[in-house]
Amino acid sequence: MAAIGVHFGYTCACVAIFKDGRADVVANDAGDRVTPAVVSYRATEQIVGIAAKQGRVRNAANTIVKVKQVLGRSLDDPETQAHKTETKLQVVNKQEKLKYELTVGEHSEYVAPEDVAKLIFHKMKETAQSALGSDVTEAVITVPFEFAHAQKRALREAAEAAGFHVLRLIHEPAAALLAYNIGQDCSAGKSHVLVYKLGGTSLSVTVLEVNGGMFRVLNTHTDHSIGGERFTEALAKHLAAEFKRTFKHDLSSNTRAMMKLMNGADMAKHSLSTLGAANCFVDSLHDGIDFECNISRARFELLCSSLFNKSIQPIRPLLEKAGLSTSDINQVVLCGGSARIPRLQHMIREMFSDVELFNSAPPDEVIAVGAALEAGLLVGKDGLAPEEESVTVDVSANDILVKEVDESGAEVFTVLLPSGTPLPARRHHVLSGGGELSSFCLEIYQRSVKEQPEKLAKIVLRNLQPKEENHDIDTVVTMKRDGSVHVSCVEQNSGRPEVITIAAAS
Amino acid sequence: MLLEVRDGDETVVFAAAAASVQIQVEPVGRWFEAYVKRRNRNASASFQELEEEQESSEESEDEEFQLEEYLMLRTLDPKDWKNQDHYSVLGVPHLRYKATQKQIKAAHKAIVLKHHPDKRKAAGEQIVEGDNDYFTCITKAIEILSDPVKRRAFDSVDPTFDNAVPSKNEGKENFTDVYSPVFERNARWSSKKHVPKLGTMESSFEEVDNFYSFWYNFDSWREFSYLDEEEKEKAECRDERRWIEKQNRASRGQRKKEEMNRMRTLVDSAYSLDPRIKKFKEEEKARKESEKKAKVEAKKREQDEKERARQAELEVARLAKEKEEEEAKQVAQQAKKEKEIQKKAIKKERQKLRTTCKNWNYFGDEETDSVKMMEEVEKLCDRLELTSMQSLNDILASGSKEDSKVAVEKQVQEVNAQLQREKEAEVQMRQASRSADHASGGGGGGAGGKGWNEEDLQLLIKAVNLFPAGTNARWEVIANYMNLHSTSGMKRTAKDVINKAKNLQRLDPGQKDEINRKAFEKFKKEHSAVAPTIDNAVPSERFDAAGNAASWTTEEQKLLEQALKTYPVSTTERWEKIAGAVPGRTKKDCMKRYKELVEMVKAKKAAQEQLSGKSKK
Repeated sequence: MAAIGVHFGYTCACVAIFKDGRADVVANDAGDRVTPAVVSYRATEQIVGIAAKQGRVRNAANTIVKVKQVLGRSLDDPETQAHKTETKLQVVNKQEKLKYELTVGEHSEYVAPEDVAKLIFHKMKETAQSALGSDVTEAVITVPFEFAHAQKRALREAAEAAGFHVLRLIHEPAAALLAYNIGQDCSAGKSHVLVYKLGGTSLSVTVLEVNGGMFRVLNTHTDHSIGGERFTEALAKHLAAEFKRTFKHDLSSNTRAMMKLMNGADMAKHSLSTLGAANCFVDSLHDGIDFECNISRARFELLCSSLFNKSIQPIRPLLEKAGLSTSDINQVVLCGGSARIPRLQHMIREMFSDVELFNSAPPDEVIAVGAALEAGLLVGKDGLAPEEESVTVDVSANDILVKEVDESGAEVFTVLLPSGTPLPARRHHVLSGGGELSSFCLEIYQRSVKEQPEKLAKIVLRNLQPKEENHDIDTVVTMKRDGSVHVSCVEQNSGRPEVITIAAAS
Repeated sequence: MLLEVRDGDETVVFAAAAASVQIQVEPVGRWFEAYVKRRNRNASASFQELEEEQESSEESEDEEFQLEEYLMLRTLDPKDWKNQDHYSVLGVPHLRYKATQKQIKAAHKAIVLKHHPDKRKAAGEQIVEGDNDYFTCITKAIEILSDPVKRRAFDSVDPTFDNAVPSKNEGKENFTDVYSPVFERNARWSSKKHVPKLGTMESSFEEVDNFYSFWYNFDSWREFSYLDEEEKEKAECRDERRWIEKQNRASRGQRKKEEMNRMRTLVDSAYSLDPRIKKFKEEEKARKESEKKAKVEAKKREQDEKERARQAELEVARLAKEKEEEEAKQVAQQAKKEKEIQKKAIKKERQKLRTTCKNWNYFGDEETDSVKMMEEVEKLCDRLELTSMQSLNDILASGSKEDSKVAVEKQVQEVNAQLQREKEAEVQMRQASRSADHASGGGGGGAGGKGWNEEDLQLLIKAVNLFPAGTNARWEVIANYMNLHSTSGMKRTAKDVINKAKNLQRLDPGQKDEINRKAFEKFKKEHSAVAPTIDNAVPSERFDAAGNAASWTTEEQKLLEQALKTYPVSTTERWEKIAGAVPGRTKKDCMKRYKELVEMVKAKKAAQEQLSGKSKK
């Protein structure tokens, strides 16, 4: 059974289908794998996608962009006001609801943001259907981590209005982890993952703990002031300056010319992610003058260097707040269209020098792929109730350790069961001791973050046969839901068992 | 490297482990789904080890089972393998059809280790060579039991299975005790799992219903290929194989049928004996009856209600009517009374008047005068109203003889004048109605008397006779007829005709006769006058037509046609002019020719129409 994952972003939307165990991004009817989340209202029709984005130059007043910013918000919300000033769209309150005021044809029309989102969802559905050749309704939709309940509900309603059966709304960072199959193959083990998402208008950095196959968000940071459009703007400003220098015309007052230049700069920016230099060419930019300019990647990086710094800078404070350092991070996942920029990737790699950097998949598609994988998991099963948005899980509070000595004789602690493991849990370890010894002592400790380990119990195995090679001791640590620990050790050769149960503090 | 134990160390717990904490996790990923599933099922096992545990539990089962040595094993005849109990041979007679594949394999392994000819040889036993050794039986047993198809065939005819169906008498006393083991025994043949149990006496209707519907639609996997008399593998050629197959199929079908019959009998007898079914049926019957009763009652109540309502309505109507009647009666009585009173008063007054008049000796001295006066007074008595009579009497009572006389005379004059007026009015009215009659009768007629000449009257009588009373819109039809046939050219409406007809009816029969006679005379005259002309005219016309036709040349014809066109119908002295235009032809000739032509054209048209009509037919 096919299911789809939709990533509905501020600037772009992307859809992936899950079929036959694989998740693939679907190209839309224009051949693009990512569809601009732009809706243009005309007298007779509504256009979604690249055509609407390009037509914005002529139909700016009726072209809705970044609808996600106002979805599920009220008019007096500062975000809404920011959106209003930025997009120059008329946003009014109509019957207690937020509406866009558009002038379609002769009369004005009021359009709810939910309807705009619905159109975009509908477009994504059509795209998926054309690829599958059959109707598909089961979908998982991603939401940013900072989305409030009302926004989530609005998004869900819009998707349902477009004909989707929303299996679940999942957070974008979690979807990114799923796309790279992090923590899914083997549930054991604990790792920290940083998800760096630089989209069109927002930057979000999230650090997650992956333990027992479960994802837990430790800390997150969102900045709406930085994104791909800022880079484009910087580039467009540079191009406008070039134009002024060459033709002695000031473009800044000509909004249409600026929009055209933005479109040109956008394309040049995309080319610069793969090429060393790009040509920006705009027909009849101002006063019938054609404009052409060549930009090198180095020039672009120079123009945006402060922006790059700004987009990298939140990572360190975020990690500090979570009580982690860059070396604690095991994996870094890049997503969002702007994460394609080579300079940014380079900077992140510099910051996390010996860390696995996941950027093999196109970063703007990763989230949709993750959502599709989740949809594949959920389809045909009875999922959670929609109101059950957050699920709490019992996890172990402390690391469970065993004290050992290394070759030099110094004491070392080996983690038997890491903290944050979903309970109940069972971990199996094979501990080894010197073959010449006839008895062993397993000292079980617990340790909360960075504190001194506290001794919990001691297990003694006596009367073993000394032998040439090391003694192998099968140790099974089981922790119940309340946190009580049960340790059983069996010496492999003699089969001598020893069992201990440590009750949990109430 | 683990530490070595120091002296005096014991296994000991020092402190309690920290309690678990609750954290919020992202609802994604398969491990999360597994967690949710487990939480929903309330399973406590660690999910990572879920599968492992399943395996280990299977293993533990393996350990549990024990082999039972088959005592007869050594005496078995390998040739008679079909009749051996394969489970007993392998040492698992207690497990039978419940034995897992694993158990069977393990049992086989154990038994082979013990009874393999090589082993026994090593133990110094005498071995029968070839296939005659009882070890062949073991091989055969594992062959049957390890193949699911063959094993099923064997299970189907498991010799230890009790096919018996309890008789009805057995089950009468304690139904569940007798039947539940039978159903449980037979449940093993079900293709579906989770066979419903017979249940107890307290089982709900749904349970019992479910049980019987399951067993009536019992889908059995039992088949009887094991009992095949011929072995397909033994056949030498295809035809033989086919024949064997056919035989086997027939016998299998027979047995399957028997089996189905057996099951059917079992379920049937159980159903018929089941006290619960009886109970449910009774309950159902009782429920239906009560429902019916309730329905009937409701209906009755409804009817009663209706009847009552109707009665009440009738009562109200009756009361109203009675009241009305009463009132009317009263009013009538009142009126009668008043009338009587008035009558009495008038009578009294009249008497008074008469007496006063008499007293005054009718104001006359002479006999004739008084008689006349008496007459007048009587007239007065007749005509005067109560009030005027009273006033007159008053005057008479108060006044002297002369005054009274004057008053009476005045009254008499007044009365006479009134009478005169009335008479005149009557006469006038009569006259008016008569004149109206006349006016309508001769409404449209301007010419000749009342507009009805004799011909018209004739025609009218004819028409009236032609369209007798009862004809639809008789008078309109008559009027129409009149208009069509009248020579006077007057238009008559239905009203005129009615009036005239009525008048005629009122006329004395003599007049009618006269009219009729006149009409006959006229008819005779007309007839005698017209008929001969027609007789004479026909041949001449013919002759003329024949004679003149030749004389009209094409040139003349053309000229005539041209002239006809040039002088349209409205032209004065048309025919003179036409004749002038056609040289050598008189006016009469031209007219004749024209008529001829018209006739010709008409005839032609008629012929054509006839032709076309025929062709249509």
